[in-house]
Amino acid sequence: MALKTIPASRGPAKTSGRDRAERKLAFRMTAPSLVIMALVAAVPIGYAIWLSLNQYSVRTAGLSRFVGLENYINALASQEWWAAFGQTFLFAGLSVSLELILGTAMALLLNLAFKGRAVLRTVVLLPYAIITVVSAITWQTMFQPNMGLVTNVLSALGLPGGDVVWLGEHGYAMAVIVMADVWKTTPFAALIILAGLQVISAETYEAAELDGASKWQTFVNITLPLLRPAIVLAAIFRTMDALRVFDLPFVLTRGANGTESMSMLAYTQLRENRLVGEGSALSILTFLTVMVVSVIYVRFAGGNIRDVAKEEQ
Amino acid sequence: MDLNRPALPLQNKAATNRKALAATAIAAALLLSACGGGAAPQGAEQAAAADPASGANASGAVNICGVKDASGIYKGTAEAFTKANGKVTAKYTEIGATTDEARTQIVQRLEGKSTECDLFVTDVIWTSEFASQGWLLDQTKLVEANKDRLIPSTVETTKYQDKYWGSPFFTNAGLIYYQKDKVAKPETWQQLYAEAAKAPGNGYVYQGKQYEGLTVNFLEMLYSAGGEVLNDQGDVTIDSKETRDVLNFMSDGLKNGSADRAVLTYNEDPARLAYESGDFGYQRNWPHVYRLLNATPLASSFDVAPLPAWEGGKASGVLGGWNLAISAHSTNQAGAVAFIDFATTPDWQKHVAMDYSQAPVNEAAYSDPSVLQKMPFATELLASVKGAKPRPISPVYPQISQAIYKNVYAVLSGTASTEEAVQKMAEEITAAKASF
Repeated sequence: MALKTIPASRGPAKTSGRDRAERKLAFRMTAPSLVIMALVAAVPIGYAIWLSLNQYSVRTAGLSRFVGLENYINALASQEWWAAFGQTFLFAGLSVSLELILGTAMALLLNLAFKGRAVLRTVVLLPYAIITVVSAITWQTMFQPNMGLVTNVLSALGLPGGDVVWLGEHGYAMAVIVMADVWKTTPFAALIILAGLQVISAETYEAAELDGASKWQTFVNITLPLLRPAIVLAAIFRTMDALRVFDLPFVLTRGANGTESMSMLAYTQLRENRLVGEGSALSILTFLTVMVVSVIYVRFAGGNIRDVAKEEQ
Repeated sequence: MDLNRPALPLQNKAATNRKALAATAIAAALLLSACGGGAAPQGAEQAAAADPASGANASGAVNICGVKDASGIYKGTAEAFTKANGKVTAKYTEIGATTDEARTQIVQRLEGKSTECDLFVTDVIWTSEFASQGWLLDQTKLVEANKDRLIPSTVETTKYQDKYWGSPFFTNAGLIYYQKDKVAKPETWQQLYAEAAKAPGNGYVYQGKQYEGLTVNFLEMLYSAGGEVLNDQGDVTIDSKETRDVLNFMSDGLKNGSADRAVLTYNEDPARLAYESGDFGYQRNWPHVYRLLNATPLASSFDVAPLPAWEGGKASGVLGGWNLAISAHSTNQAGAVAFIDFATTPDWQKHVAMDYSQAPVNEAAYSDPSVLQKMPFATELLASVKGAKPRPISPVYPQISQAIYKNVYAVLSGTASTEEAVQKMAEEITAAKASF
């Protein structure tokens, strides 16, 4: 680390004229991006918050009234919101855990030296490149009762599940949605974890080998701890995505059988019912939920990263 | 974030990492809500009316907007009209790949008072909602002038608060497809269900997924049983014996094998595909399935029937189809009137059936020999269309429909009892009607 070339600026007492000038310059240079950030993020969010504090008439054009937090209170008092909340977290918990486990395994495999590795690394990314709606329709077709690939194969092998209407039953429907998500996004998790794997130095492994560590010990005591920042990063990205899930349940079940997500609920109110205030309140609630979860993650992840940084020193 | 801090001391690396992570996380989360807000409704307007006589002197260009033109009917009609009229040129603009998308696009244009489109092709269930917002031209006089050439049930789909807000272009009604070598022509729903339960290959497939199509399938039976959702005064009357009878009947049908449980996942296309496997006796679907079934090995063994009656009741159904609505912000209202006049003529309505396989809104077209040749089931279709009724007319129709299909689905999938579902349905529809 080029520690010596970085000027120490932590001492506020030492603020010189040159520092101030530099700060001004830095501010001026970042100002355009700040303005753009404000325009693309802050303004729409502020507007959405404003919308969520009002009700807009669906029967009389142009009529609206300020209702304060009523839309939020109604949402938080409704069974639908909490059902969607629980279902979304169930989905996120299941799919992200599976993706991280499978993603780590996949990354370890892809990190091995073998012929055709470069090709395989590209190929495994294919599911991630497919549009979610398209893959959802494919899964729907495969789980079709009587004629779907999965149901037919299960029946032919005499396995249970062949005569189940997967998308028409509680539990099974969630399983299909989790499966579709895991299939699609595990490569993404694997890619991030693979990047983390590649920065672990070979010397560490050599040292472990010299000390007579078994493969398993090496994995648990070296690979996994050093991989943690990458895994946490993958977990953050995936959790945030999973908590906003919309396309999979929308295509596969339309929210039936315990699969309605928070985003679907907000969409229905906003787009289908044109309840602009109520729908905006739901999207803000979804946004707050995702933010709280991210902040919690970052707290824990921050700790990890700090440990790693200390170890590196 | 410390954007005005010029340097990064190493000791703060962890904190900075954390901040960068937090910033990424928050920025990504923000993008979500940025997509959330819809536009606020615009100012209310007193609806202007379309003048039926204005079409004769129309000139200029007319732009018709709507969903992707899969059958070619919209572009075809615009071309034929331009050729026949000589003074007005019409063109069709596709503004959405699916019905839902087109609705979003139309709403955006209407909310923004866009003058881009003079006419919108609207799904029959949107009419009252759009009219209540003052987005459409009042077509009462135009509809009255054309009344003798339009099937009354199709005109009713454009009615809101005693005025007409659109003209029907083509209609749609459910039909029963049946395997005549296995099962009998259905006269009543009871007979259809009984016959369907007799043998494993006789089953009935319909659209039972949790979506608008389930509302349609349910209402077709409810209407034939004499039930209703709202009465003529607009009061909620769904909490009735008829609703309970129909719900029990449908859920019994799933239990005793009249209908396969797989229907809980079917919308139109999966239902058709399942039926094409030959493993079923009856299918409820729309007229477009006729042509598709004719291209399968079932071509010689299937036949078409209008929707059956409820035992002791009459046959009924639910109207689908598309209306032509004139935008309140159209800059060529006379041209729009001229286009509607052309599109609803008995002569062009024959082409609607012959060239595009859609159900005409003119009764005479159904008995035309050349139409019958292209559409051999025209007689059955006319019976279905004439007996059908519109879905509940209300500016909050989407909410009403959700209250119906979610609760019907709960009964069919076994997560709610009929009694619970009926009460919840009535409560939710009452609440929806009280929407601000």
